[in-house]
Amino acid sequence: MLDAAEKRRLVQKARQLRERIVEVTFTCGGAHIGGAFSQHDILVALYYKYLNLDPKRPDWAERDRFVLSKGHGGIGHAVILADKGYYEDRLLDDFNKTGSPFGMHLDRLKVPGVDASTGSLGHGIGIALGMAMGARVTGKSYRTYCLVGDGECHEGSVWESAMAAAHFKASNLMCFLDRNGFSLDGPTEKVMALEPLDEKFRAFGWRVLQIDGHDFDAICGAIEEGLAERERPVMVIARTVKGKGVDFMESKTGWHYGGLDDEMKRKALESIRRTYPD
Amino acid sequence: MADQATELRARIFLRAALPLIKVVLAERPAYRRFLWRARGVVQFAARDSQQGAYVELAPGALQVVQGVHERPDVRLTFKRLEEMCAFFAGALKAPGISGLLRLPALLRLLPFLLKLKILMPDAMPTDPAERALKVRLLLYMVTNALSQLNKGGDPAFGKVVKASPDRVYQWSVAGGPEAYLRMKAGKTKAGRGTYARRQPFVHMMFPDIDSAFDVLTQRVSTVDAVKQGKLKLEGSLEYSKEIGLHMQRVEAITTGG
Amino acid sequence: MAKAQGLTWTVEDADQMTQAEIYGAVITQMGQKDRRLVALTADLARSTKIGKFEEKIPERFFNFGIAEANMFAVASGLADAGLIPIVSTFAVFSSLRAAEFVRTDICYQKRNVKIIATHSGTSFGQAGTTHHCTEDLAVMRALAGMTVIAPADALETAKAVEAAVAMDGPVYLRIGRGFEPPLHKDLAFEFQIGKAIQLREGTDLTVIATGIPVRHAVEAADLAKQQGVSVRVLDMHTLKPLDEAAVLAAIKDTRRLITVEDHSVVGGLGTAVAEVIARSGKGCAFRRLGYQDCYSIVGYPDDLLHHYCIDGDGILAAIGEVLKADFEADEDWADED
Repeated sequence: MLDAAEKRRLVQKARQLRERIVEVTFTCGGAHIGGAFSQHDILVALYYKYLNLDPKRPDWAERDRFVLSKGHGGIGHAVILADKGYYEDRLLDDFNKTGSPFGMHLDRLKVPGVDASTGSLGHGIGIALGMAMGARVTGKSYRTYCLVGDGECHEGSVWESAMAAAHFKASNLMCFLDRNGFSLDGPTEKVMALEPLDEKFRAFGWRVLQIDGHDFDAICGAIEEGLAERERPVMVIARTVKGKGVDFMESKTGWHYGGLDDEMKRKALESIRRTYPD
Repeated sequence: MADQATELRARIFLRAALPLIKVVLAERPAYRRFLWRARGVVQFAARDSQQGAYVELAPGALQVVQGVHERPDVRLTFKRLEEMCAFFAGALKAPGISGLLRLPALLRLLPFLLKLKILMPDAMPTDPAERALKVRLLLYMVTNALSQLNKGGDPAFGKVVKASPDRVYQWSVAGGPEAYLRMKAGKTKAGRGTYARRQPFVHMMFPDIDSAFDVLTQRVSTVDAVKQGKLKLEGSLEYSKEIGLHMQRVEAITTGG
Repeated sequence: MAKAQGLTWTVEDADQMTQAEIYGAVITQMGQKDRRLVALTADLARSTKIGKFEEKIPERFFNFGIAEANMFAVASGLADAGLIPIVSTFAVFSSLRAAEFVRTDICYQKRNVKIIATHSGTSFGQAGTTHHCTEDLAVMRALAGMTVIAPADALETAKAVEAAVAMDGPVYLRIGRGFEPPLHKDLAFEFQIGKAIQLREGTDLTVIATGIPVRHAVEAADLAKQQGVSVRVLDMHTLKPLDEAAVLAAIKDTRRLITVEDHSVVGGLGTAVAEVIARSGKGCAFRRLGYQDCYSIVGYPDDLLHHYCIDGDGILAAIGEVLKADFEADEDWADED
């Protein structure tokens, strides 16, 4: 359970990193900022409370794995990894620039702390499943986590992986679904309807939990429930808001990907401070 | 006129089976005594067919020639080609025999013909030399009979041969004997020994006479034979099946099927 | 004594009779010695012979059902855990259906995954085009970081699998059904990834072949020799990295090259050799044998090789054409009696 002090710590950390995301987006000329904000609190909870990692040893064999299947959330992921100490934060100033290790979709071979090079959707659960199965085969106790987008669930390979994860009883695999309700062309239910997502994953043999993806109590509660699961893989469907934290971005399709000028950056930072007061 | 099936059957007996008496002579030197001072021509013929063959006996030698001899010493004329086939299949169908004065020629030929009975399905010798002879005769007969199937106009086998590129089907027993069938665009040739010019398309290999005996007499199925190590098949899986089917047809034709 | 009523073959019977047992056994033996090896298949354990692994080491064998995309993603994840996944399914599914997963999850991320793609070319003749694959060498050659091998027979496959596991990085190994007759007599030959095997010395012309047609190339060369034509035969088992030195030597020594593959003439061995010829700047008579940018008809695999002129007869004819020589036909069709 989450005590008040720890919760405050997480909220503050989330706020600090949101501000950093705004800054990097401003510098690099554009990023998948909407999705970076919807997934953000889940990533903060994982990286600052649960993931067993050593930033000095990114290839440590016993580390917990995290696969950001919706690879375009890379900007949010990169900011967290810098803050955790995998590399210097100033490297993010060159995000998207020619020759930079950082682009829209993070390259595992170039960015320490990234476990899989994603970007093409529908690969992450499969890769994460492989890591989870690998733990079993090699007798290791690390956990594997994966974050998928909701639009991403249009991809058939997601369901292949879901079927297999349940078949192989991968209870050491926990996935989060960033249910922000939007894909590139609009609301998911208009583009290609997904609901009832919870029933679908349940039917595929997963333990399904549904939470508010911006409530740390709920997030941590779900993770702990999931960690106790012994039979099935766990899917935490997190209801989130695309662009969460910045009022003019929230639930706007357009902010799937966008750039910020001085004025918008100022407004964004203000909005974040208002949403997450000290 | 005899029907097509009978004509084909007779063709196989006359061209693939009858000539095997020469192999008997080669493999059984003791039989030479039957040909001491032998002379004469024995003709096989049927009233309702153009087909026929004759055996030329000479001291210590036999020759089989297809066709009709002008003046054979002994003429074995069957009323119907069917009856000649039955005769060769082992039934005691008496042909009309003319030329009784030259009967000795026929008498000298008889042991060789009787020896060919070893080809019949119920002939299961236990003596190793007899088994080896049967295997040799079966291999030579089967390959030649398949060629006759084609040359005699059998539609099913003819289709396979017509479509075939230059392919060789080889049978061999370790240490001998060997026989092959070559086919190419409608043509077939049966041969003895190993075809040297190219690798066989299908190769059925027997490790010893007993294995060959069991498989060729169908005491053991091909599938079981491979499992038991009595037969090794190399080459095209589909065509070893195909040739196996036609081998069985030949067997059925020659045993009165 | 039951008399066989026609010959019936089941998949089980065929298992007993193929050379493929050899490399199935090799993979299993390797798996027993090296605990990093895991085997994956997509509902084709029996067909691809990786089922042998399942029998002996079930705890390191995983069947993903008819879902190839996921399987290759999982292979990437397993490799992250320090394991060496050997993934086996039909060539058309490994190289085309799951191409993106092979490229992005395995090659791009430099995962140590070994792909054994079976039933390549038209070796699954009866199944028709949906199960043929005449494009996989072209696709796999184009993936940076992929090593591409097409062994000539089951014995070569056994050695290729060993070599593939011994090296670091993704490998694509393409084979036929496993019923193909052997080329090598035994395992006493040298196999090195990236080094062509010269099977016949020759000076008039070089036939460079890969995979199943290698045996046919040797047959054609031996027949040509009987007609006084000296043909060099190169078993180019590794498409990538190609043994360019061997190709350059063939250009220099014989000036006439024929490539043969159970694959389209576009993008595979023929194209790879053409790249070397073009770069060398030397004039050369050159023919590519393979599927001439077409899909295959249905048929028995041996018949298809003949139909598309990739068998001994076809190669021999091509040799004749390239040399403008005539080979006398054998006209003795009398039966021996």
